[in-house]
Amino acid sequence: MTRQTKEIIIKYIFFLFALVSVIVLGLIVFSLFREGLPIFGKVSVKDFIFGMEWYPTYDPPNFGIFPLIVGSLIVTLLATVIAVPLGVMAAIYISEIAPQAIKEILKSVIELLAGLPSVVLGFFGMVIVAPWLQDTFDLPTGLNIINASMILALMAIPTISSISEDALYAVPREFKEASYALGATKFETIVQVILPAAMSGISTAVMLGMARAIGETMVVLMVAGGAAAIPESLFDSVRPMPASIAAEMGEAPFRSGHYQALFAIGIVLFFMTLFFNLVADYVSHKFRQIGSGTL
Amino acid sequence: METNIIIKLNNVNFYYGQSRALTDISMTFGKNKVTALIGPSGCGKSTLLRLLNRMNDLIDGTRVEGEILFEDKNIYAPDIDPVEIRRKIGMVFQKPNPFPKTIYNNIAYGPKLTGVNAGDLDTLVEQSLKQSVLWNEVKDILNKSAMNLSGGQQQRLCIARALAMKPDILLMDEPTSALDPISTAKIEDLIEELKKDYTIIIVTHNMQQAARISDETAFFYIGNLVEYNKTEKIFTKPDVKQTEDYITGRFG
Repeated sequence: MTRQTKEIIIKYIFFLFALVSVIVLGLIVFSLFREGLPIFGKVSVKDFIFGMEWYPTYDPPNFGIFPLIVGSLIVTLLATVIAVPLGVMAAIYISEIAPQAIKEILKSVIELLAGLPSVVLGFFGMVIVAPWLQDTFDLPTGLNIINASMILALMAIPTISSISEDALYAVPREFKEASYALGATKFETIVQVILPAAMSGISTAVMLGMARAIGETMVVLMVAGGAAAIPESLFDSVRPMPASIAAEMGEAPFRSGHYQALFAIGIVLFFMTLFFNLVADYVSHKFRQIGSGTL
Repeated sequence: METNIIIKLNNVNFYYGQSRALTDISMTFGKNKVTALIGPSGCGKSTLLRLLNRMNDLIDGTRVEGEILFEDKNIYAPDIDPVEIRRKIGMVFQKPNPFPKTIYNNIAYGPKLTGVNAGDLDTLVEQSLKQSVLWNEVKDILNKSAMNLSGGQQQRLCIARALAMKPDILLMDEPTSALDPISTAKIEDLIEELKKDYTIIIVTHNMQQAARISDETAFFYIGNLVEYNKTEKIFTKPDVKQTEDYITGRFG
């Protein structure tokens, strides 16, 4: 075998390895659609997505997943509202303000938080947060929107903080120096120069944090309470989409309507996370960080 | 004579951590003069420049000894706010560094911080851009991003931005080293013009530039002030052999 044929063979071997993940993703999406789409022979897309009743085991069953979508969106949004200030502020503190020693400690702690298995966080929400909420606010159950949002926020903070931090570090030193040289204080420099320059990266961080929260299963399964109804207050229980799939898949008879509906929920979830990722991608390209590379 | 001195350094030593970057510098800077600081890389000329508006404060682990008097007050005295110093002593950097904002907002950035009201801002922006001879080129695109300007225009914008603070002194850290010869010539003309109203201290790698634009020249070598005199004298009859070797290109 000549050296050149070897090179070509090696090239294709690597290409195949790179292809594996693409193929696997393709197969997953294919089976998701193959198992999920038949439900729309039994119920229209409109009734499925906007239907208010989720009673998949009744006779006749109701496959309206609107309460589940609302449950997912509300815990994700509330988690974002909690996690964005915390994550971004932490990133600003780490990248711009903290002394070296504190910076190192904070970074490792936040990484540790990212490394916690979600079931551990869910356990914490169930055993510590839920009883506290129940006692403090005199609720029938502490497993509700607030609880799930707080735990999801804990999961999103490391994502938001570490990506924001990278964005802040990427702000050219020259901008900061220019600001200080004009007599700006550190605070003025952070707010008026550094944050705007890092905004695209921070937006990406937020979108990825949200994608992380909306797809998270274990936490919402454990602490969201599991009620498939439109919530009326933040102390109500909800049943986000991933929790429904995880809780019900074991009981749904193979290729029954219920089974297909759960896969169809998977399709909806797939499109939602895809949407978040596309927006994140768009934002980071469109508002590409303006560097100093102008010469 | 004393009244014409705007900055006076008394026995200044400067350290980055353990290593000493400037050794026992004593010198004065004349008012409304252009003073050039020259010397090979690492001689401490930029470090000295950044000491004058306390930019070195931003680097961890640095230490200053001695005193630097600006209008007879030590700018390193504990009761001095570096922010105040930087408002009176402006700086232009080696690489043009406009903010990723509009041309207008680049100029307005500093004055807004000091609370100049919106009505006066327009006048100030126009005046500053005229001073830096950029007005005619940008007057119709004030709301466009400053990042679209050429390198030379960006540098004049940065000068205008510094001038908008109405500083007493303008520090320039190799302001033309990243520019083409035509842009460089424009900036040099500008410096000539600005020295009527401002004291300019400029670090340069380019000895011809120092000879062209400065009234006084200080030659530094490994953290020491080797020779400081009228530019004409330094470039024709330097007192010290080392200065002569440097300006004739024997080393550096």
